[in-house]
Amino acid sequence: MSIDRRKLIVLGTAGAVATLHPPLLRVAAAAQRGSSAAGDELPAREASWYKKLEEGRVECELCPQACKVADMERGMCGVRENRGGTYYTLVHSLACSIHTDPIEKKPLFHVLPGEKAFSFSTAGCNVECKFCQNWEISQFRPEQVQAYNLPPERLVAAARRNGARLTAATYGEPVVFWEYVRDVAIAANAVGVRPTVVSNGFIKEKALREVLPLLSAIKVDLKSFRDEFYREQVRGELEPVLKSLEIIKEIGVWLEIVVLLIPTLNDSAAEVRDLCAWVKAKLGPNVPVHFTRFHPTYRLTDLPPTPVASLERAWKIGRNAGLNYVYLGNVPGHPGENTTCPGCGEILIRRVGYRILSNRLFNGSCPDCKRKIPGVWS
Amino acid sequence: MTRRELALIFGAGALAGTAQGRMWSRSVQPGVVGLAEARAALGKPLGPETARLAMAGALAASVGAESGVEAAAAMFSPKDIVGIKVNCLAGKFLSPRVELVEALVDLLAEAGVDRRRIIVFERSNRELQRAGFTIREAGPPYRCIGTNNDYDREPSISGAIGSCFARMVSTTCSALVSFGVVKDHDLSGVSAGMKNWYGVIHNPNKYHDNGCDPYIADVARYPYIRNKLRLTVLDGVIAQCHGGPAFRRGGIFELGMVAASTDPVAADLWAWREIESERARRGLPTLEAAGRPVRFLATAAKAGLGIDDPEKLLLVTA
Repeated sequence: MSIDRRKLIVLGTAGAVATLHPPLLRVAAAAQRGSSAAGDELPAREASWYKKLEEGRVECELCPQACKVADMERGMCGVRENRGGTYYTLVHSLACSIHTDPIEKKPLFHVLPGEKAFSFSTAGCNVECKFCQNWEISQFRPEQVQAYNLPPERLVAAARRNGARLTAATYGEPVVFWEYVRDVAIAANAVGVRPTVVSNGFIKEKALREVLPLLSAIKVDLKSFRDEFYREQVRGELEPVLKSLEIIKEIGVWLEIVVLLIPTLNDSAAEVRDLCAWVKAKLGPNVPVHFTRFHPTYRLTDLPPTPVASLERAWKIGRNAGLNYVYLGNVPGHPGENTTCPGCGEILIRRVGYRILSNRLFNGSCPDCKRKIPGVWS
Repeated sequence: MTRRELALIFGAGALAGTAQGRMWSRSVQPGVVGLAEARAALGKPLGPETARLAMAGALAASVGAESGVEAAAAMFSPKDIVGIKVNCLAGKFLSPRVELVEALVDLLAEAGVDRRRIIVFERSNRELQRAGFTIREAGPPYRCIGTNNDYDREPSISGAIGSCFARMVSTTCSALVSFGVVKDHDLSGVSAGMKNWYGVIHNPNKYHDNGCDPYIADVARYPYIRNKLRLTVLDGVIAQCHGGPAFRRGGIFELGMVAASTDPVAADLWAWREIESERARRGLPTLEAAGRPVRFLATAAKAGLGIDDPEKLLLVTA
């Protein structure tokens, strides 16, 4: 049997679905038999954020790429198509990757530690990071990956059956399936499941503001603090991401930030210092910042993994800058994975990888000095 | 210039050694575009004879051969597996005509290529069918299939692009033909032979900014294309000067030409010129003035893919 990695991902997720509930297994099996060949007509729903232009063209108003799209064409994300002057999302309810993860994997360290997050994604992305870890779904079009019809209510029901207290739109880029994110969040909130999002934050203000109040938490990848990096390595821009972070802070949705440190590209002490100073000044000292380790992948295979020393330097810079919660990621067993009380210095949550070894938080506070620790704890 | 005059320029011996197609590279003619008339109204087919005459004439003219079969033999070997990439995005009214594609298949077969080794392909079966082609997994009289998401497992890097190529071009075929149409494109300005290759990468949606430049050239200069591309054919029976890349009735015009060239840049340069002429005739602004300058041809020429200098464009009529 010959199988490629994209199909393997789908089989893996089909297995995950199979453990959840027989009806979902049937959906998965049907999807595989059908195979998402380009010849198949994809289901389409009119997009929520776009405007019509002259001569049947449209302009997408979802993300700062602001693609102007002619009839029969798609935007840069590959999942939105102009059909006769109406813009459609082709991925609403079309999940290509489904899995139950610990919330620590997102990572959201200050959100219900140890709880499960029912995680899902569709194909597509609005940028093209040369170091993308999920390129086999994010850089493909919906007809190029196998996917399951999983409407919001069924997704949330599956989450509950699987004991997940959270949903997480993740893996690919939730911005490109923002209508699906919105509708899953509505369905989740209706039954007391907490919706979360893992995003690049490269989204226009109106779309962000409309969905943010529905979310319990969001993790944003701040890929660099240099616009040049965003343009060359990401094919995006820094400024809209910073703007998104400020909006999230303003709305009050729980926010954590991840910075993937890539050797020679964004790991200089000066850049890390600038980034940390900006976070403290604009977002405050209590927003967790995770510095995580890069591993070569996709189009960036000629660089080594990030040295642990670089991560530790960033960790130190962050704490010296006055940030209260600085973490290290992709270095299992490192003390930088633990949550420490900024008041008394005691370890509150001890972690190894995605596992919680101990959690001493009491009603969201340090049991020793009683300092309140910010987060979503119940 | 006529085909016979071209033969005189290149020398009668230029093609002599290529009759069996073994020396195809000697037949590459930078800047030369062979042209033949072929007229039909929108939605009306060309008769088989007309299609054959046009295809053979353009092919022969492109290399100064005596006949279309001789030209085909100069470009392709019987050992080749020939992939003909058709651009069917715009559906029935603005895709390569089936009768022209089949005329090319016939010429290749008469030049010694086994029909089972000739594959007409597009991204999907559905697009082929919408354009009027019949899916033929194994032939006869030739194979006609969509690549249907059968891509390389790892991306290939070429300049600014990182893409998984369809295995049809990376692995299956040893020789390629781009069979496009002559049409306007709202971002790249022109979509003819070179942009047709966007249909063999998995992520064309990533590469439409900046007028698709340098991405079109980056796809075309990757060895899978560059080393295998033998011929570009453009169906200009019906062309579109505005409103592309989808079919838009108000933008079409009866150009009445079929073009063939071993130089993909020159072929697109000709298409660009025809589109601009029609736009001028209608009082439309140039593509550059309309905000979609054709940048990719200069980049392609710099990459050594062909001639983009109008002064060096040599149009040879059948």
